[in-house]
Amino acid sequence: MSFKQIYNKNYKFLLLVPLILLLISLFFIYSFYQQNQDFIKKDVSLTGGTTITIYPESQIDLADLKTYLGQESPDASVREITGLRTGNQEAIIIESPLSPEELKPILEDYLEYELDSENSSTEFTGAILSEEFYNQLIRAIIFAFIFMAIIVFIIFRTFVPSLAVILSAFADIVMTLALVDFLELKLSSAGIVAFLMLIGYSVDTDIMLTSKLLKQREYDLDTRLFSSFKTGITMTLTSIAAVVVALLLTASFSETLKQIFLILTIGLCFDLLNTWFTNASILKWYIERKNKEREE
Amino acid sequence: MKLGWKIWLLAIFLISSLILIINLPTSTSMMVLGLFIGILFVLINVKSNFGKILIIFILLASMIFLIYTQTESGLIIKSVELNSTAYNSGLRQGQIITSINSNEVETLSDYTEIINSEFIDEENKKIIIQTKDEEYILFTNTPPKIVLQEIPKTDIKLGLDLQGGSRALIKAQNQSLNYDEIQDLISITENRLNVYGLSDMKVRQVSDLSGNNYMLLEIAGATPSELEELISKQGKFEARIANQTVFIGGEDIAHVERSGQYSGIEGCFPSETGGEVCRFRFAISLTEKAAKKHAEITENLSISTENPEYLSEKLDLYVDDALMDSLFISKDLKGRETTQISIQGSGSGKDRQEAIEDTQQNMKRLQTILITGSLPYKLEIVKLDTISPLLGRKFIRSIIIAGLAALAAVALIVLLRYRKIKLPLALLLTSFSEVLIVLGIASLIKWNLDLPSIAGIIAVIGTGVDQQIVVLDESRSGVSLSLKQRLKRAGFIILGSYATTMFAMMPLITAGAGLLKGFAITTMIGISVGVFITRPAFAEIVKKIVE
Repeated sequence: MSFKQIYNKNYKFLLLVPLILLLISLFFIYSFYQQNQDFIKKDVSLTGGTTITIYPESQIDLADLKTYLGQESPDASVREITGLRTGNQEAIIIESPLSPEELKPILEDYLEYELDSENSSTEFTGAILSEEFYNQLIRAIIFAFIFMAIIVFIIFRTFVPSLAVILSAFADIVMTLALVDFLELKLSSAGIVAFLMLIGYSVDTDIMLTSKLLKQREYDLDTRLFSSFKTGITMTLTSIAAVVVALLLTASFSETLKQIFLILTIGLCFDLLNTWFTNASILKWYIERKNKEREE
Repeated sequence: MKLGWKIWLLAIFLISSLILIINLPTSTSMMVLGLFIGILFVLINVKSNFGKILIIFILLASMIFLIYTQTESGLIIKSVELNSTAYNSGLRQGQIITSINSNEVETLSDYTEIINSEFIDEENKKIIIQTKDEEYILFTNTPPKIVLQEIPKTDIKLGLDLQGGSRALIKAQNQSLNYDEIQDLISITENRLNVYGLSDMKVRQVSDLSGNNYMLLEIAGATPSELEELISKQGKFEARIANQTVFIGGEDIAHVERSGQYSGIEGCFPSETGGEVCRFRFAISLTEKAAKKHAEITENLSISTENPEYLSEKLDLYVDDALMDSLFISKDLKGRETTQISIQGSGSGKDRQEAIEDTQQNMKRLQTILITGSLPYKLEIVKLDTISPLLGRKFIRSIIIAGLAALAAVALIVLLRYRKIKLPLALLLTSFSEVLIVLGIASLIKWNLDLPSIAGIIAVIGTGVDQQIVVLDESRSGVSLSLKQRLKRAGFIILGSYATTMFAMMPLITAGAGLLKGFAITTMIGISVGVFITRPAFAEIVKKIVE
């Protein structure tokens, strides 16, 4: 039996896979919300506080710095950035809810040299602004999602197929969010932007699939489905290849880009599932029922 | 074979973008333009597709070659101190230094390295400065008194997070300011920073989705350590005698002496608590109104019994309601309408050097607030980022490498899928042109490329490649439609996703005080370029390849 035949026989069951995964994800996010009073773990750029990145003159012992900071600023977190090829320590990132005026002297005492605008970068976000910032970014995502949904409805003008596109974009976001929460990633504003990018990438394949299946009349449904499958897989695979390569190459120097690419990688993998299991199956189901109605 | 107008359009956009991006003298730009028109002319007469692609590649290669060779390298002289050794030897503003003592200089750090190694002791040194046109020889024991700047290779402006600098988002404490009030605040802040000696900065008003107004301040390059104080402290200066206000900063001050014999550090001495303390003094002129007030108040004072040289009360100087210094008032000034007053203060440090620096800073700060007066509102810095300029260069190189590698990975997958070398090449070419055109537009509208903008460009490449694959597959589908109709279909799919992305980006322009605007703007520019310029050309190229 060929792949085509297996697919045609079981496509309705295939819907169960993303459906179960979606339910698990929603449940996970719900319990995460119960625990943390929020949908994500936020970094200091979204909770308020200071990030200091030090480009150290000599290697800094991470564990030692951690214990030192533990007494002065217990909520501080310390990470290091190492060169991809060299493995050398390139930067130390310290995040703390303290203000720069409070955090800097503590670090300077430890390092025994002054931190200036050459050997370090400081990013401070006040608590009020960060909350406002976070709320607005979330609003931006919700707006973007609604705009996207409206346009999808305008393009296809049929209820079920439009809904399938929107559902699959929604599932992409929910599943990615669940995995991000599961991995306990602390999101910055860049991370939230990545979700916005995800909406765009996710509907690309869905729109392609839906317009091929709905608007084109040549060949039978299956042929069109499999040809769009080929196109869509190429689209998503190229995107995944690009973001994975970019992730590997930028992770060592930019937290911002690292987070964006990581979230995109996760999201695009879920998009493969949601486009070809969720969206394609719903569409096939819908079109076949329509055809049957027409025959009767 | 004739080239379609869509490909011409792409070519024209590409050339204009390159000329916009590369920092070339106008005459050279014209020459480059002429050269490219010549190459395009040849292109029309080439019969084979392969030849065409080859020539396009030669074109691209020569562009890159031009970027690296035609741009000037060296350090441009921004200013020369009048009558200094450097000035007398003939060095002038605008000249371009290429080497010093036969060591090439390309970056400021090259320069400092050479200068630092030469002037470690106080001995006279011979310094040979080679500029583009001439050689200058200096005999001196101090580094040349010139200010230098690296010649920018491109006209692309980088954001603070890539080139280093600082950014502050400021709002009024406990009240929200309307547009006019923010504008007032901005002009006072600008004035204050100018007086302080900062010029390479931008202050503007931004608002967010909830309608809050902020003042956004951006300073490129090194950040002064007292920035925070300068912009957020009100800087209310008050001089009081016996708790009566005599004069305040700004409106009551006619002139502040900032150099010359009436302004500077008076002397330093060891402090009681260890370390050093220095004192500064500078003269100010009061307005007549303030001078009258001074006369009225001092009229009623008696002469001090302990210090018969002075009056019984002191002149207390307050900055932001905190006592900064108390000055004795000479008995000669009693009841006189004096306009000349000497202001004093101090600074301290671990050693003399530090104390002098601290004192100078205090003096500069006090002079600034005396000149500009107090800010009308109590301010709060809600966001303050200072990014080290050191990493910028390395950062950008890594981003370019990552971008090229990502494109190569895409090309590899396309090659595996279609098994034709020409298709991935055309795809790469299109994506590459897209990025170039986005950068061209960015330098045209003087857009500052920051990290969010880079993320936007990545999103553009991503959707661009996706859409090109749609074009490729539609053009290859075995349907018995004409190729034109098939490509039209691809167009429908593409316009659909174009519209969704365009609208999805809009809220981000103002969300979060526009700090992530770069992402939205570059994405919107990029996908528009994609849909209207590069994609049609790509469809045509594919048509030629398939036929």
